[in-house]
Amino acid sequence: MAQAVINGLLIGGIYALVSIGVTLIFGVVKIVNFAQGEFVMIGMYISFFLGAQFGIDPVVSLLVSMPVLFFAGVLVQHFLIRRVLGLNDLPQIFLTFALSLLILNLSLMLFSANYRTLHTSYSDDAFHLGGLYVPVAKLIAFAVAMVLSGMLWVFLRTTDLGKAMRAASQNREVAQLMGINPNRVFAVALGIALALAGAAGSLLMPFYPAYPMVGQVFVLMAFVAVVLGTLGNVIGALIASLLMGIAESLGIQFIGADSGLIVVFLLLLTTLAVRPSGLAGGGRR
Amino acid sequence: MRLRGWGGLMLALVIAAMSGLPLVVKSPFALDILIRILLFAFIGTAWNLLGGYARQFSLGHAAFFGLGAYTSTLLQIDFGISPWIGMFAGGVVAMLASLPIGWLCFRLRGPYFTIATIATAQVLMLIFLKFRDFAWGAEGTTIPNLGDAPLMMQFEGKAPYYYIVLGLLAAALGITAWIERSRIGYYLVAIGEEEDAAEAVGIDVPRIKRDIYMISSFLTALAGTFYTQYIYFIDPQTAFNFSISIEAALVSIVGGVGTLLGPLIGTVLLETTSALLQSWLGNSVGGVQLTVYSLILMAVILWRPTGIMGYAAEVYARRRQSPASG
Repeated sequence: MAQAVINGLLIGGIYALVSIGVTLIFGVVKIVNFAQGEFVMIGMYISFFLGAQFGIDPVVSLLVSMPVLFFAGVLVQHFLIRRVLGLNDLPQIFLTFALSLLILNLSLMLFSANYRTLHTSYSDDAFHLGGLYVPVAKLIAFAVAMVLSGMLWVFLRTTDLGKAMRAASQNREVAQLMGINPNRVFAVALGIALALAGAAGSLLMPFYPAYPMVGQVFVLMAFVAVVLGTLGNVIGALIASLLMGIAESLGIQFIGADSGLIVVFLLLLTTLAVRPSGLAGGGRR
Repeated sequence: MRLRGWGGLMLALVIAAMSGLPLVVKSPFALDILIRILLFAFIGTAWNLLGGYARQFSLGHAAFFGLGAYTSTLLQIDFGISPWIGMFAGGVVAMLASLPIGWLCFRLRGPYFTIATIATAQVLMLIFLKFRDFAWGAEGTTIPNLGDAPLMMQFEGKAPYYYIVLGLLAAALGITAWIERSRIGYYLVAIGEEEDAAEAVGIDVPRIKRDIYMISSFLTALAGTFYTQYIYFIDPQTAFNFSISIEAALVSIVGGVGTLLGPLIGTVLLETTSALLQSWLGNSVGGVQLTVYSLILMAVILWRPTGIMGYAAEVYARRRQSPASG
């Protein structure tokens, strides 16, 4: 039981990176990024190739995957999302959905559906704490994820750009009147969100296989966490992600090996049934 | 709005021409492609009622496809009931399932409605994967081949299947054309344009959404039964496959959401492209079809968000305004 909670909490840190990205984009740009999971996948493949070809540790290749995906985020904002802002739901929903399909299927063509794993010196190591088993790779991933989330929080609170971002998410028109350039703020928001997804991918690599469909699990988790934690709320998404990780892990423990996802979907549907008002901020426009 | 009259005429012509096709086209490969086109045009037309007119963008129609497929197959294998009856039983099951699903999902708007529909279809798939005593679990089952048994919806050649799915499509288009002209059609368009405004002028929005969801799910379930009978096999991964939900939405968006013929035209374009790609590249490379589909979808969204039919209507309207240029 305690073991399941620890496993869940550690993987919840990764979910947090993905859902913070989703909630940041939703908060600032008012778009749900269906492709967020695919950027996790790209982060994984970057770390996989750097690790397999040059023996670079996945935690170090974070320094590559994050900037690459930040840049990708700026490009996605500039060439795609910018063009559907202010339009109706159809282009807004299906643009990022098409992007997700495109990246997924391109990777399927390029990399095939095979699982790629990267074995690091610490992949099998673990601490033993009073009968509990704490895998080193997951602990590192969790710690880095928490540091990155903390850095984002500080960034949003203290820097001008961060404040501009929060302002734009609270009221876009007023923010614009205050001289905030929305395109720049949006581009940075996309960049940060995708960089976090890339970081999640790199951090997963020592203990999780990379394959083209890998992102789907993470993006669905993120959607649930973002709904639970109230749309657009970074801290809410963080806490919800950790709880989701624990719920999933307990679900696997008590219901059966492959049912983690059922627990998560049921959580989502129950949330919607019981607390649709929690979505008032964004889900209901 | 003049296009409407033309739509009816065109539709009659298209259906007449298509009825004769199997007399000319004898190759099973070509017939198979035609059946796929009609099948997805049918599913797309069913999706379009909810997604196109009311603009509730579901990506969970595989739920109803799968429920239809499983209902008729269970009735056939466990009780020996003909799929012709099972098909409609499946439609009713899907219609009833749409009530709680709709109750949940319609609490949300925009992208969150879409996500909730994805989740419901996935939950159903996972349930069918888990419960092996009741519906064969992950392995699925083959449909016993009875040879030429029209009463059990089994035929020797492909032509009868072609006529069945052509009939389904014609019925769905007929229903759509009727709804387009009826009061409920105008309500749907009003809801699609601005839900709050529709509510404000006295439209019972939840009821209309519920009704159209029921019709849309009923039709989608019929496709599920047909497909299972056609490929003689069922498992949760095929019956609840996410790609069914995707293609239902895709063909409508590419062809033009909220237009009578949009889904059909979108399917012809996408499936023909896919068939050409397949004959050119073979089946060896995975992901090619959806890569091309997603590129087409992106191009449509960025440049022609009203789809092919929407664009055609614009061009037609422009022509009428400047008769000199004609």
